[in-house]
Amino acid sequence: MTTAAEGTAMDDPRQSTATLEVRGLAKTYGTGAEAHEIFAGIDLTVAPREIVCIVGPSGVGKTTLLRCIGGLLAPTAGEVLVEGQRLRGPVPQIGIVFQDYSRSLLPWMRTVDNVAFPLESKGMKKSERIPRAEAALEAVGLAGSGSRYPWQLSGGMQQRAAIARAIAYEAEILLMDEPFASVDAQTRADLEDLALDLRQRLGVTLVLVTHDIDEAVYLSDRVVVLSGRPASVVDVVDIHLGDDRDQLTTKSLPEFTEDRARVLRQIRRP
Amino acid sequence: MRSTRSFLLAFLEQAWLPVLLVVIWWFASEGNTNPFFPPLSKIWDSFVTEMSSGQMELHLWASTRNILIGLAVGVVVGVVGGTVIGLSRRLRAVLNPYLQFFRTLPQVAIIPIIIGAFGITAVPKIWAIGFACIWPVLLNTVDGIRAIDPGVRDMVDAYRITTWRSIFRVVLPGALPQIMAGIRISLSVAVVLMVVSEIYAATEGVGYFIHITTGLFQTDKTWMGTLLVGLMGYLLSVIFLLIEKRALRWYHESAS
Ligand SMILES: Nc1ncnc2c1ncn2[C@@H]1O[C@H](COP(=O)(O)OP(=O)(O)OP(=O)(O)O)[C@@H](O)[C@H]1O
Ligand SMILES: [Mg+2]
Repeated sequence: MTTAAEGTAMDDPRQSTATLEVRGLAKTYGTGAEAHEIFAGIDLTVAPREIVCIVGPSGVGKTTLLRCIGGLLAPTAGEVLVEGQRLRGPVPQIGIVFQDYSRSLLPWMRTVDNVAFPLESKGMKKSERIPRAEAALEAVGLAGSGSRYPWQLSGGMQQRAAIARAIAYEAEILLMDEPFASVDAQTRADLEDLALDLRQRLGVTLVLVTHDIDEAVYLSDRVVVLSGRPASVVDVVDIHLGDDRDQLTTKSLPEFTEDRARVLRQIRRP
Repeated sequence: MRSTRSFLLAFLEQAWLPVLLVVIWWFASEGNTNPFFPPLSKIWDSFVTEMSSGQMELHLWASTRNILIGLAVGVVVGVVGGTVIGLSRRLRAVLNPYLQFFRTLPQVAIIPIIIGAFGITAVPKIWAIGFACIWPVLLNTVDGIRAIDPGVRDMVDAYRITTWRSIFRVVLPGALPQIMAGIRISLSVAVVLMVVSEIYAATEGVGYFIHITTGLFQTDKTWMGTLLVGLMGYLLSVIFLLIEKRALRWYHESAS
């Protein structure tokens, strides 16, 4: 997926320098008898340019954790630090890509306007916003689709547009909650490669929640396994598959199979 | 060329039934001597005379003006109020019983009070129409805002969209389909209130015309006024539909 031509604005390597630290994070929904402790004592440090996948059984609290990391939800205890600064809400270094792309793109705006929209609130002029949005669209392989409305795009294209929005926003850390869950297998593989490609070219950091162990191993430098009730980090699996990965060869390497087996064991652990 | 032809076809498809009904009515009522059901030809004659006298134009103008200004007032107050209430959970909880009260109150009931208090000029009528038009728009605005997907809310938060921008670029466009549906209801409410307020106490307007001709037993003119009201309501709703179709193009096209 190297659709973008060399030398576009988006090839300027902004190279994430933002470190993400999660310290003793806990979240409890409700209070008193209704209290429901989702996770506790989560520690995690994500280096710039790293790709970290969070996996775990359904309902364990992955979405909740990601929302806390993104500043959309206040944790009950602990803290999230971005570049050493304690998070009190969403920050400009973080871009969030939601699972439900069809809902996070506004149907009354053309795709390019959707991508450029967050830049308005940054006080950027239209003459700057639109070229930047076009460049971001090009970086995700959507050059020329900007003038169409989101609902005129396929599911995979809509998710690319949502990623372009995070890139145009100049997020250094992209948080993605099951970003490729609702597209077909081929599109999914393409989007996985887009994620790797964006890290390579733009130097972004990725924190991804996924259900799919293969996807987690294929994309990650590290896989974080959440389990238990309340959930905690039961294992962090380092993946040594190198920087150049591709769907066919990487997935048939013996290392891939080993890492995959280890993650699976951790998830199934009683 | 194609589109004009298909437009003509669509028009003919729509028009044949009303035309047929009018023709049947015309011939069936011809020579009718029942004073309450004058022949259509007589109604038509009175239409021609009244229009050429210049009086009817004034009545039509007065009624249309009252409807449009009243509706505009109702839409502005309804959208602003509905937005404030729709965005605030606490306000909604406090105001909900009152909103339900106005939802169910038949709006014509307020006419005697408003006209009694403010007199029989045009302004109190506009007030009455405006007041009645607020509620469908306000309630639909609240519902429309509440129905906006939580995912959109997350996007607004995550990308730190400023408050005013989120209201004008996200919240209001997102609620627009429901707001438009509310305005459509308000439009028919406005027509009813126009007629009733003018029948109740007025010196001008189509409702007033209907009222005085009834008093003078000029049944053909009463019929004519009534038909004009129907035509007026129909034309206004056609114009509204055209506006709505333009404003909600994304909505209709994305649904298909
Ligand atoms: N707003 C909320 N209020 C109360 N409980 C909630 C809320 N949101 C989620 N929960 C609960 O928190 C738990 C974790 O939910 P979460 O959505 O984070 O899980 P998840 O790991 O993302 O699951 P999945 O893999 O199915 O997406 C669930 O038991 C859910 O019922
Ligand atoms: Mg989830």
